[in-house]
Amino acid sequence: MKDKLTPRNIILCIAICSLPWFLIGIDEISSLLDQYRINFGWPGAGYILRIIVRACLYMLLAIGLNVVCGFTGLLDLGYVAFYLIGGYTAGILMSLLDVHYLIALPLAVVHATAWGLVRGIPTLRLTGDYFAIVTFGFAELFFRIVKNETWLTGGVPNGQLRGVPAPTIPFTSISFDLNWHHYYHIIILLALVVFVTYRLQNSRVGRAWVAIREDEQAAESMGINVGRYKSLAFAVSAAIGGIGGAFLAQFQVSFSAQFFEFWESIFILCMVVLGGMGSIRGAMLGAAILGSLGEILRVALSKYPEIAGSRMLLFGLILVLLMRFRPAGLMYKKT
Amino acid sequence: MWAQYFEQFINGLVQGGIYALIAVGYTMVYGIIQLINFAHGEIYMFGAYFGLILITVFHIPFWIALPLAMLLCALLGMLIDYVAYRPLRTAPRLSALITAIGISIALQNLARMFWTAEPQVYPTDSLPSIFVSGLNDMGEVINVIPLPGGGTLPYRDVFILLIAVALMIILNLLIYYTRIGKAMRACAQNAVAANLMGINANRVILATFAVGSALGAVAGVMVGLSENVTPTMGYYKGVAAFAAAVLGGIGSVTGAIVGGLLIGLAEAFGADFHSGYRIAFAYIIMILVILIRPTGLFGKATSKRA
Repeated sequence: MKDKLTPRNIILCIAICSLPWFLIGIDEISSLLDQYRINFGWPGAGYILRIIVRACLYMLLAIGLNVVCGFTGLLDLGYVAFYLIGGYTAGILMSLLDVHYLIALPLAVVHATAWGLVRGIPTLRLTGDYFAIVTFGFAELFFRIVKNETWLTGGVPNGQLRGVPAPTIPFTSISFDLNWHHYYHIIILLALVVFVTYRLQNSRVGRAWVAIREDEQAAESMGINVGRYKSLAFAVSAAIGGIGGAFLAQFQVSFSAQFFEFWESIFILCMVVLGGMGSIRGAMLGAAILGSLGEILRVALSKYPEIAGSRMLLFGLILVLLMRFRPAGLMYKKT
Repeated sequence: MWAQYFEQFINGLVQGGIYALIAVGYTMVYGIIQLINFAHGEIYMFGAYFGLILITVFHIPFWIALPLAMLLCALLGMLIDYVAYRPLRTAPRLSALITAIGISIALQNLARMFWTAEPQVYPTDSLPSIFVSGLNDMGEVINVIPLPGGGTLPYRDVFILLIAVALMIILNLLIYYTRIGKAMRACAQNAVAANLMGINANRVILATFAVGSALGAVAGVMVGLSENVTPTMGYYKGVAAFAAAVLGGIGSVTGAIVGGLLIGLAEAFGADFHSGYRIAFAYIIMILVILIRPTGLFGKATSKRA
């Protein structure tokens, strides 16, 4: 998908943009038909749209993680830390301090970026598994902090934040709280992130990252300032995580520390690896599959209650099988 | 004051013994195939359930159920390696990592299907009586060792500590004084060279999984003696044990033991300070150790691994 306006891309854009109307239309028709025909037990359009929004959010996060994991080749097991920082920064600002979303979002991004840099400085000289483990410990510490510091969330235990207000258009009372609002919201954020990462990937910066991934010492001797480019990768990755978190805060309305457990990092990492490390399209594909697979299995298995409990079991097995037959990811590009 | 610290210290040692037992499984597998075996926490959880099922459903005495649970877990560990990890030996390392995660999710939900998510406990009436501490009919505290300062140490904890120490000694003997142990060390140093010397690497890896999983099963049964058994127990203990393995220097068995004890102690004293941050102290120590000495306490410096 080169960034050119070919007819195919235009059609794709129109299809993506008109999806909510299409879904809501289907929902209307089926609810009309329901009066005459048997209900097939199809899920409603709002539900489908929410799954799609969730998948898009995961796409955004997967792209962000891909910057560190795929481009610079450092295994990050604690990406959820930035998601958490973005989510809580925006959530606390909006629900407890009544800050507008358009101010809270950039603040959340700045906050996450700052922590990305702070985490980056001591870990610059670490490679491979040791880097992974420090990132993991870092994320766990943040998880503990929001779980235990109840004063952060207005005295509610377990890091629970309730009633994050929907963003409004400034100076009006029109608020964005419907599912299709969320859909366009995340599509805009996602488009922005995809654009920025594509431009970065195909620039001097992106080539420097790949050089660092392939051989750090060779890159250094070619005159690449490894520390600076690694820090830049951490900052970009953390900023994207912050955007995701801020979106989650207003999308979810109320959330708790449980949203940011260690498994969430692993889940996002799975998307990146499944799609093929270092490929933006791969990360998006992986996120679309894994981000919706759980819900798809829930709907698909709802007709068979005896095996409905095995949803996550199937999820795990699908992961194993995918890795067994496509060990380098679905969209692996040889470099 | 000091008596209280002493009690914390003993508790930390007991917890640390359990962590050491689990951490050894992580570190041994990592030492040979450079894989963070996320499914190991689930093997430990299955160990706890196997023990529970053998005791409650099959009415097998505890002293026989424990080795049986070890055997079953060893088989489970070998099965996982054979089915899931072996085909990926030559694949990128991250694919094996994702496979481990997939296995972990699958096992956790398998346990949920078999035994429900309800917390279960080992029935006190079918355990050996010395493990049942508390008040008897006369209102006397039984089966405990009094500690200075009024605290008590149940026999159960003494047993956990003793068996952990005993198993660690046996493990060290196994690694340093047997043929298979020698083969394990050879594979950990250089798998290709070991293969050229006529060592069947796949068999050695299977043995590694069996030993690590059996030790995990012991930890599971031990924890079952005093805590609830749930499908998610493997996650929490597994993460901490993994931190222990890293702290000691991943790949080093001695390191895993020392790391386990340190994490256990950090948790015990951390709980004193703030119970919610119990495990956080372990992570802080782990991060500091890596930043100051990136190979962990006992790890050897290795060449760069991407």
